[in-house]
Amino acid sequence: MLVFTRKADEAIVIGDGIEVKVLRIGRDAVRIGVTAAPHVPVHRREIYDQIRAANASAAAEPDAARALVSRLRQRATRQEPHD
Amino acid sequence: MTDVAVHEEVVTFADGLPGFESNHRFVLVGSPSLDPFTLLQGVGPDAPSFVAIDPRQVEPAFAGEIGSADRARLDAAPDAPLVWLALVSAHEHAPATVNLRAPIVINPASMRGIQIVPVESPYRLDHPLG
Repeated sequence: MLVFTRKADEAIVIGDGIEVKVLRIGRDAVRIGVTAAPHVPVHRREIYDQIRAANASAAAEPDAARALVSRLRQRATRQEPHD
Repeated sequence: MTDVAVHEEVVTFADGLPGFESNHRFVLVGSPSLDPFTLLQGVGPDAPSFVAIDPRQVEPAFAGEIGSADRARLDAAPDAPLVWLALVSAHEHAPATVNLRAPIVINPASMRGIQIVPVESPYRLDHPLG
């Protein structure tokens, strides 16, 4: 990992055109501004990780995915009279 | 187990999906035998497949929000119609859940797809399938 010391209003540049700037330094948090082209996704790590975990639990082999659809459809059919 | 696919087209996810960043090509498989579900099948060896459903089938009031940066990633005009899908997770000892918080959005005009990673959302990652 590259480590930098930056003050408020100082920035680093990543690659061609991504800038990460320290906007404000608080006691418990730092406010950061990211400038990047619209097609570059920028996410908060913890949110990204939650979605990554949800995707991992949703991913399946193709046959398993089809089997899951069959199970869910059977279940829905059984439940219908109670709706 | 083979369905005769009613539609089967390749959608390009330039950034993959969170956790599957190197899987860029998925085939959308829909057929009456799968309805109301759709398969999002990764192209290539070891590519993941997902079971997906229209979020409004699960939550009729679902209102997806997409920002301008995400629209740009889809190459979609501001009023272009988009296809929304939510991924379904099976659990061994609990009913299946649906990820309404981070939906898949596809622009059928460009056949580009993304998964939205929202900062805030009223929806759950594990909404009960019902």
